[in-house]
Amino acid sequence: MVFLEVEMPWNVLISPDQLSPKGLLLQKAIIVRLLEDIANRKASKEHGYYIAVTALNSIDEGKVRELTGDVLFPVSFNCLTQKPTKGEILVGSVDKILKHGIFLKSGPIDSIFLSEKMMRDYKYVAGENPMFLSEKHSKLEKDTVVRFKVLGLKWLEADRQFQLLATLAGDFLGPI
Amino acid sequence: MSGEEEENAAELKIGEEFLKAKCLMNCEVAIILDHKYEQLQQMSDDPTNQISQVFEKSLQYVKRFSRYKNPDAVRQVREVLSRYKLAEFELCVLGNLCPETVEEAIAMVPSIKNKGRIQEDDQIEKLLNDLSLIKKFE
Repeated sequence: MVFLEVEMPWNVLISPDQLSPKGLLLQKAIIVRLLEDIANRKASKEHGYYIAVTALNSIDEGKVRELTGDVLFPVSFNCLTQKPTKGEILVGSVDKILKHGIFLKSGPIDSIFLSEKMMRDYKYVAGENPMFLSEKHSKLEKDTVVRFKVLGLKWLEADRQFQLLATLAGDFLGPI
Repeated sequence: MSGEEEENAAELKIGEEFLKAKCLMNCEVAIILDHKYEQLQQMSDDPTNQISQVFEKSLQYVKRFSRYKNPDAVRQVREVLSRYKLAEFELCVLGNLCPETVEEAIAMVPSIKNKGRIQEDDQIEKLLNDLSLIKKFE
């Protein structure tokens, strides 16, 4: 999985009780608030998943919001992100086995569906531990590590996450 | 994305951000996130606030799937791969998946053949040898 380090702008809102004459405390409040904001935002269609803030580059002059007294600080920071891309090859592990296919997860991406139709010669085998078996006795069961290709993806605004469709059609793809 | 052509990583038709920004491999991200994790633990009284699920899942993932663990080896991998005229995205895919044969490398990163930068198979072979040497001496 390919990660990116991207510089981006953000507006951090600080409530008046956190404004301190000691500069360092204010800076800490801004950093803590930025980290919380980014953790809550989780992901966006534009940038993909927000994984970690790696550097705070600048804090600009704050602007007072007249109604609330909050102060808005425009900041610029570096963020480690992960954006899934159509056509790329990823490694993930099997999360759930269903009759019609498999759900995989890979890093921050929870929802990757590998349809039975995209598994070439694998067939569903029911049982206490359901699995997909190929004619060559290669197995896909819970926690199997799989190399797959991203066939398509969709951004789900309500869940703030991406939904991926995977395929095993291609050379050197499958359980590893 | 310019929007006109549909993205396809196999042909290196990827978002502009991948071409401009710095791309990172699993093993590099593992080092960064490990360090960040320690920092966050120290910084806050309640670190759970800032350690998001996305962070945790990514940390677990890169730790599990990093081929190289030793920071010196990680640096060498980037250095070796940078000698071949690869796009950042291609460099990371190769460093992550560590293909063993030329055919596998081309299947993982079809664009290395298309763009006419690495034309000869023996150059890919040399690249793969360089990578496996780093692993051997890690």
